[in-house]
Amino acid sequence: MAHQVTKTKVSLGPYFWLVTAFILVASAIMSYFVYASGWPIGLPEIAEPAPEIDALFKFLGAMGGTIFNIVTGYIIYFAIVFRRKKSDPPDAIGVQIHDNPVLEFWWTVIPTILVVILAIFSTVIWSSLQNTAGDVLTMEAIGHQYYFSFRYPKLANPVNNEMHVPVNVPVTLHVTSAEPGEPPVNHGFWVPEVRLKADMVPGLINTLRFTPTQIGGPYRIICTEFCGALHGTMRATFYIDSQKDFDKWFAKQGGSGGSPGAGGAAGGGAGIALANGNADQGATLFAAKCSACHSVNAFSDKKVGPGLGKIFSDPGHPKLVNGTAPTPADAAAIMKNGYTGDIGQMPDASTNQITDGDIANLVAYLASLSKK
Amino acid sequence: MTTAAVEHGHGHGDGPDHDDGHEEVIYQETRDMRLLGFVLFLCSDVVLFSAFIFAYLYLRGTIDEWPPILNGHQLPRLDLPFAEFNSIVLFGSGVTMHHALENWKHGKVGRFDFFMGFTIVLGVMFLCGQGYEYSHAAIGGWSGSIFGASFFTLTGMHGFHVFCGVAYLAILWWQTKKGHYDQTHYFGLTAGTLYWHFVDVIWVALFFLFYIF
Amino acid sequence: MAVAAPTTTPTIPRPVLDHIHPEPTGFIRKYIFSIDHKIIAFQYFITAGLFFIIAGLLAEMIRIDLLKHTGVLTPNVYNQVYSVHGSMMVWLVIIPFVSGAFGNFVMPLQIGARDVAFPWLNLAAFWMFPPAGLILLASFAFGAPDAGWTEYPPISLQAPFGTSMWCIAIFLIGISSTLTGINFLVTIFKMRAPGMTFTRMPLFVWASAATAGLNMVATTALAAALLALFLERQFGVPFYNPTKGGSPILWQHMFWFYSHPAVYIMILPAFGIISEVLPTFSRKPIFGYKMIAFSSVAIALLGFMVWAHHMFTSGMAPWLQLPFMIITMLIAIPTGIKIFSWMATLWGGSIEFSAACLFALGFLITFTLGGVTGFFLAAVPADLHEHGTYFVVGHIHYVLYGGSVFGIYAGLYYWWPKMTGRMMNERLGQWHAWITFVAFNCTFLPMHWLGLLGMPRRVAMYDPEFEGWNIVVSVCSFFLAASTLLIMGNMLWSFKNGKKAGPNPWGARTLEWMISSPPPYYNFKTVPAVLAAPYDFGNPLPYIGLDAEPGAMEATPQSTTGLVHAH
Repeated sequence: MAHQVTKTKVSLGPYFWLVTAFILVASAIMSYFVYASGWPIGLPEIAEPAPEIDALFKFLGAMGGTIFNIVTGYIIYFAIVFRRKKSDPPDAIGVQIHDNPVLEFWWTVIPTILVVILAIFSTVIWSSLQNTAGDVLTMEAIGHQYYFSFRYPKLANPVNNEMHVPVNVPVTLHVTSAEPGEPPVNHGFWVPEVRLKADMVPGLINTLRFTPTQIGGPYRIICTEFCGALHGTMRATFYIDSQKDFDKWFAKQGGSGGSPGAGGAAGGGAGIALANGNADQGATLFAAKCSACHSVNAFSDKKVGPGLGKIFSDPGHPKLVNGTAPTPADAAAIMKNGYTGDIGQMPDASTNQITDGDIANLVAYLASLSKK
Repeated sequence: MTTAAVEHGHGHGDGPDHDDGHEEVIYQETRDMRLLGFVLFLCSDVVLFSAFIFAYLYLRGTIDEWPPILNGHQLPRLDLPFAEFNSIVLFGSGVTMHHALENWKHGKVGRFDFFMGFTIVLGVMFLCGQGYEYSHAAIGGWSGSIFGASFFTLTGMHGFHVFCGVAYLAILWWQTKKGHYDQTHYFGLTAGTLYWHFVDVIWVALFFLFYIF
Repeated sequence: MAVAAPTTTPTIPRPVLDHIHPEPTGFIRKYIFSIDHKIIAFQYFITAGLFFIIAGLLAEMIRIDLLKHTGVLTPNVYNQVYSVHGSMMVWLVIIPFVSGAFGNFVMPLQIGARDVAFPWLNLAAFWMFPPAGLILLASFAFGAPDAGWTEYPPISLQAPFGTSMWCIAIFLIGISSTLTGINFLVTIFKMRAPGMTFTRMPLFVWASAATAGLNMVATTALAAALLALFLERQFGVPFYNPTKGGSPILWQHMFWFYSHPAVYIMILPAFGIISEVLPTFSRKPIFGYKMIAFSSVAIALLGFMVWAHHMFTSGMAPWLQLPFMIITMLIAIPTGIKIFSWMATLWGGSIEFSAACLFALGFLITFTLGGVTGFFLAAVPADLHEHGTYFVVGHIHYVLYGGSVFGIYAGLYYWWPKMTGRMMNERLGQWHAWITFVAFNCTFLPMHWLGLLGMPRRVAMYDPEFEGWNIVVSVCSFFLAASTLLIMGNMLWSFKNGKKAGPNPWGARTLEWMISSPPPYYNFKTVPAVLAAPYDFGNPLPYIGLDAEPGAMEATPQSTTGLVHAH
């Protein structure tokens, strides 16, 4: 039987309250530092909702840091104060307590309250991420191996490697992944200075909403889902321009009729000019928008709709689904207006979110296939 | 399955050091352990099927029309009447297995033999029926669409379990012929019956999910 | 060999299977294909230890590559290296260590059993482990998996054959885990010594039970995901390929439904080890025994409900993010209860800073920091910034290295005398603990701000502005890797020069310390009856009928100075 050198009712230990005060003061100073400085992120906040997200980070930093200080501080204190000393008898034992219901109650309840506060705070900020208001620029980002391309309403061709947005205009960014001619892989879209991220998943369209608030650039667009050997180099640049500068840039990209603002993605216009269609852009677009239902093989190679490989060149090609002849103009009309009938439904241009310029490019692409 | 009892010196009447009451207690304790272990194994097997059932329901939820469209045409639904017949075969084998075990417990070895054989025959019939179903199901093959992917994979896994079950029951039957079990020591038969009912329960779910739902 | 049931208290039930079977003869049956849980535990220790060294070398290759922002290895090689590193550490190192090695050695002894419920199953489960590892390592010859240990499709559908080998290897080790889980659950439920009710079990046994339940239920979900990936890669069966109607998100659901409980499989036994080490070296009862025990079960159950917090950016329905966020935050509460209970175990104690105790104290600090960064990741709006960056890499290494590996080290120093009959060099062990703690924090702390500032993960090359901190991380990681040599050397040293350990060198109170070191093959000559939980240092040992080795009972601990000078 061990000799009982039990401390029957040990005090909290010398300096306990001093240590406690030190821990709390250190945590308060640290929390002040967290709130006053750019820590923990330290990047500029260039868009809504970056400030709210940063507020959450600061709260997490203060709360988490305090918890860490408490745990580490008391452990160090207990280790020093309650260490076995050489002068202690070899069979010395500690105070034989098993529990303390009051203490356990509080150290369950207080963390629960903190968790509830954190959950409420996070939910409030989460819900602000789900809303957009007012005029909205709806655009797309498409991930490829290993670059980003961006599609704007009323812009015929996508822009590669560089994304511009006008300041103070809410942006709705649809992201996905596409790869002409090959199975596409996942990518990620992240602008650290905006604090938002979405995976670019082939077959899915994910949406980010933010309002740029600070003119500047270049900022970084970074791929954050492993996408292959050069995942580490997959980048694009991001600029927030004044409305004037944005309009200038947009016009240089070939955008017609003023900047895209309200009105969403689908273009208007009577006829569709097919002359300037770009087959390469059309190829990318086909992979992103059409390949779920159409192949580029012969007509008989049906997925949901028929194969479009020889649509303009095959003399025996049947009439199009709406009874018109398989010519570029008639194909463009179907892409514009869609079709609903007993063999299924082809979405129209606004559902597919393609512009007249897109249609021109798609037709050009199909024409290039038909030449082979 | 392991026979810890054998390892611990339990035999059938050998070991004259042990009094029979003591041996009986040991047998019951090992039987309890083996039963718990077997039930836990069946639970983890249920998770395996549940994961694939989740995959099937998830993929099915991504499209509006079921069966899905392949090459421009909607795939047909599966042959319900035949599956109903095959299901009756399988559920019937569950009934016969139950009777086999009951008869064994009451020492009616002849009737046990009949029902055990009947169970095995019905199990083989079910497998043949699945073979027929596979060759006639015009749903684009295993790799044609998510319909084939989920149907053939899930029913294939189930069929594999049935096949192993048939083999297991055959081995158990052979063991009864060799005198491995008696009327108070027959855990293997209990385990076999449990496994066979498990295979039935899984089929209830699969039949509903692919032929009715 | 009739059982000597205790006659003083006839109401205590008999133990199960209280027979001593003859010891196997022959080298093969004794040491290669043994059904003795202690030998199997050694086999797990050795195999997992070898894989730890290999996976650690792969980690050093990662850090060498990241010394330069343009990379050192070719990206293709780098991607295979980091993917195999992660896969090995999770499935071939930590889970086998905490479950196969410690669970097998310690748990049956702590419940007073002669072996596990199904010893042959135990043997079969072990022997799946080395082949699984060899298959994974062999995949380097066929194009090793290169999309991380998570292998998301569609890219994992396109990788060379090594990824299919990965599927096979992990499937195999998964079967091993599942069988071990079943084995341990039955053992704990059915084979405890008479009188050992659930609330008299050592806390490592509680942890093993919760872990076994997770092993048993979660692993088959992974098996399903792997099987589907394999079938799609090899036979074109569409589950995950979006161009054929599949869904990449489906893989994420199936994979994470297992892989989140997997992290609790990796940490719960480490929690159990801490619960054993701290009372022994504080010489006082574990504080809040019931709350620690029940919180293990709560964590295991809640762990099944949070998997999609790995998928907040994937495009899941936004409303679904909220319940996963909230339940993830709730897991902090039972975890916090444990941390506070362990701190209260230190308070008022008579603390001896053995190497095991130092690692346990280090665990408390580093695991708490890992838990705090877990809060950062649980909050969805913050996770949108942190996902896929080095912030996550920092978090996972704080909980897996600062948590599981520190727990494994603590357990090794603690139970080494029991397993081998030799003491390790305590002073060297203490150096190991301090060096590891400092090197570990210097290696992994900077990763948090690297991530927040814009460094993504899984990259063979990165932006130049991050090179400075990456060099710091790499250099410190070399020290961390080198520190492993200290314990390896210590193990070898102990076989040559270590003082022979008696039954109870630490003066602990759980049943494994009541028998010789190492234990005889039958563990207990007579199985004792248990009257109370084992942690009341002020009271006599709560066992009756125990035919203990001399020196097992009434052991008093030797101070560390005593041990150091005794060599």
